[in-house]
Amino acid sequence: MADFEPRIVTFCCNWCSYAGADGAGVARLQMPTNFRIIRTMCSARVDPEFILRAFSKGADGVMVLGCHPGDCHYIGGNYRARRRIALLRLVLEQYGFDPKRLKLEWVSASEGEKFQKTVTDFVDVIKALGPTPLQKEAN
Amino acid sequence: MSFLDKLFKKKESVENKAKDAANKAENAAKDAAAKVDNAAKNVAAKVDSAVKGAAEDAKQTVAPGTVEKVIHEPKFADLGELLPGAPAGGKINLAIYWAAACGGCDVSVLDVNERILTIGDMANIVMWPVAADGKEKDIAAMEDGEITLTLISGAVRNSENEHMVRLLRQKSKILVAYGTCACFGGSPALANLVVEGKDEILNYVYTKTPTSADFQQTYHKDKPVIPQTSYKAPEGELTLPVLYDTVKTVDQVVDVDYYVPGCPPQQETISQMLKAVVDFVYAGVALPPKGTTIGITTKTMCDECPRKKSNARITEFLEPYQVNVKEGICLMDQGILCLGPSTIGGCGAKCTRAGQPCRGCYGPTADVQEQGASMFTAVASLLPILDDDPICDEEKIIKIVSEIRDPLGYFYAFTLGKSLIKKAVKETGGQ
Repeated sequence: MADFEPRIVTFCCNWCSYAGADGAGVARLQMPTNFRIIRTMCSARVDPEFILRAFSKGADGVMVLGCHPGDCHYIGGNYRARRRIALLRLVLEQYGFDPKRLKLEWVSASEGEKFQKTVTDFVDVIKALGPTPLQKEAN
Repeated sequence: MSFLDKLFKKKESVENKAKDAANKAENAAKDAAAKVDNAAKNVAAKVDSAVKGAAEDAKQTVAPGTVEKVIHEPKFADLGELLPGAPAGGKINLAIYWAAACGGCDVSVLDVNERILTIGDMANIVMWPVAADGKEKDIAAMEDGEITLTLISGAVRNSENEHMVRLLRQKSKILVAYGTCACFGGSPALANLVVEGKDEILNYVYTKTPTSADFQQTYHKDKPVIPQTSYKAPEGELTLPVLYDTVKTVDQVVDVDYYVPGCPPQQETISQMLKAVVDFVYAGVALPPKGTTIGITTKTMCDECPRKKSNARITEFLEPYQVNVKEGICLMDQGILCLGPSTIGGCGAKCTRAGQPCRGCYGPTADVQEQGASMFTAVASLLPILDDDPICDEEKIIKIVSEIRDPLGYFYAFTLGKSLIKKAVKETGGQ
C-alpha cells in the first residue's frame, strides 16, 4: 500500500515537546507531514477520552509527547500520563487495535532532532500497519 | 429504614422546616455523642451494630479523631401514602416493554411498594410483559400518542426489539429509556466486542458451550443445528427475530424523552420518576426538560459512599473474594477496583456499603462521555511512585495494570453501547 498517507494526531506538552517541535521547524529538519499537533499544557492533560475520540474519528495513530521523566513542569504529570497510557494500550488491544498505534515518547524543548526521528519512525510504523481498522468498517 | 419510614420522615420535615433545622442540629449532636460512645464500646456493641445495618456500621468504624465525611444520600420524592384515585381527565395509558435485558428492570417497577396498587387507578397498563397481558397487536391498534408513558428497559439487539421500540415511540407521548441497558447498552452491549458479530455468537452458544456441544455431538453429529430465523412448517411459516451484529441503545434507534439509569433503577430514582409523572397527570405540572436523566446527582457515587479515602498507593489489584474487605475504608485503597470515581451518584452507594465495588451502572458523570476512560485516570493516580524506584518504569506499571483481567469489559461493563468506539475492530496488517 504505497499510496497510504496516515493521519496522525500528536499531543505535545506546552513546556517540552511543543517547543521541541518548534525547534525542529526552526532547524528546518525534514520530516513527513502526516501529523497534526494539538498543544496541551501537560501530557497529563491528555485525557484517555481524547485519544479514544481521535481513534473513533478515524485517526490512524496517536502520539503523546511529554517532558522527560523528572522534567515535568508540573512535577509528576508525565508519570500520570504514562500510567494512563499503559492502561489504555491494554484496552485498545482488547478492541482489536494494534497497540503500536498509540505511542508515548519523551521529547524535551531542545530535542528537535528527536522530535523529527520520533515522527518519522512513527509514520513508518503506521504505514506498515495500514489504515485504521475502524475507518475500514465505516466504509 | 424502610421506604415508607423515609417518606414519612421527609414529609414531616417539609411540614416544619424550623423544626427540621433544630432536628438536624440535634441529630448531629447525637451522632457526635454516639461516635465518642462507640469508640469506648466493646465487642458486644459491635455485634449489635452489625444488626443495625451497613450504613450505621460504617459510621462506627471511623477511627476516632478523624473528620467524619459528609455523606449525601439520594432523596426520595414525596409521593404521599397512596395516589389520589383516578385523574380528572381519565386514566392514562402506561406501557412497559422489555427489550434486550435480564428483566430486572421490569420487576423493579414494583419497588414503588404498595403504591403499585394505586397505579392501577392512575393508569391502564396496556403492556407489561412480566405482569400484564397486552400484546403487540393491541399496541398496533392504538392511535398515535394514545399511550401517555412508555418505559423501555433493555438495549435493542434484534429485529423484534427494534420493531417494538419504534412502534411504542409512535404510539407514546413520553418515552423513557428505563434502566442501564436502555440508556447505555448495559451488559448486552458487551456482545459488540465479538469481532465476527452475530454469527460467531450464535455458533459459540449453540455448538461450543459445554451443554450445547454435548447435545450437538449426540443428536446432530454431521451438521450442528442452529436456530433459523424462519422455518416452513406444514402449518405455515414460523419466524424468529433476527439477531443484530451491533447492540444499540434505545436512543440510537428512536427519540428518547427521559433517561432513568440503574441496574435496576433504585427506589429513590423510581420515586422521583413517578413523582414527575403523578404531578403531570394530576396537577398538570410541567415535566422536566426533554433529555433529562432522572434520579442522578451532580457528583460522583463517592459523594454518597460512607467509606473514607486515605489516598493509599496500591501495587496490586484484587477482587473482593481475594481479600477480607475492611469496613469504612475506600475499596480502591484496598486494591479493589471500584468504578465510583467515574460513576454519577444517585444510587446511594448500596454496593460499596455492602463491601462490593461499584460497577458503574448509573453511567458516566455529566461532563464526560467515556466512563471507562475517566476511570483510567482514577486508576492511574492510584499507582505508586515507589521509594526504590522514583520513576516506576514502564515495565513495572505494565506488570501492575496487567493484573486487571479484561479491563475493557470491567471499565465499560455497562456503557459500551455509548462509548466512542462501540465495536471491536480487526487489524488487517497493512493489506
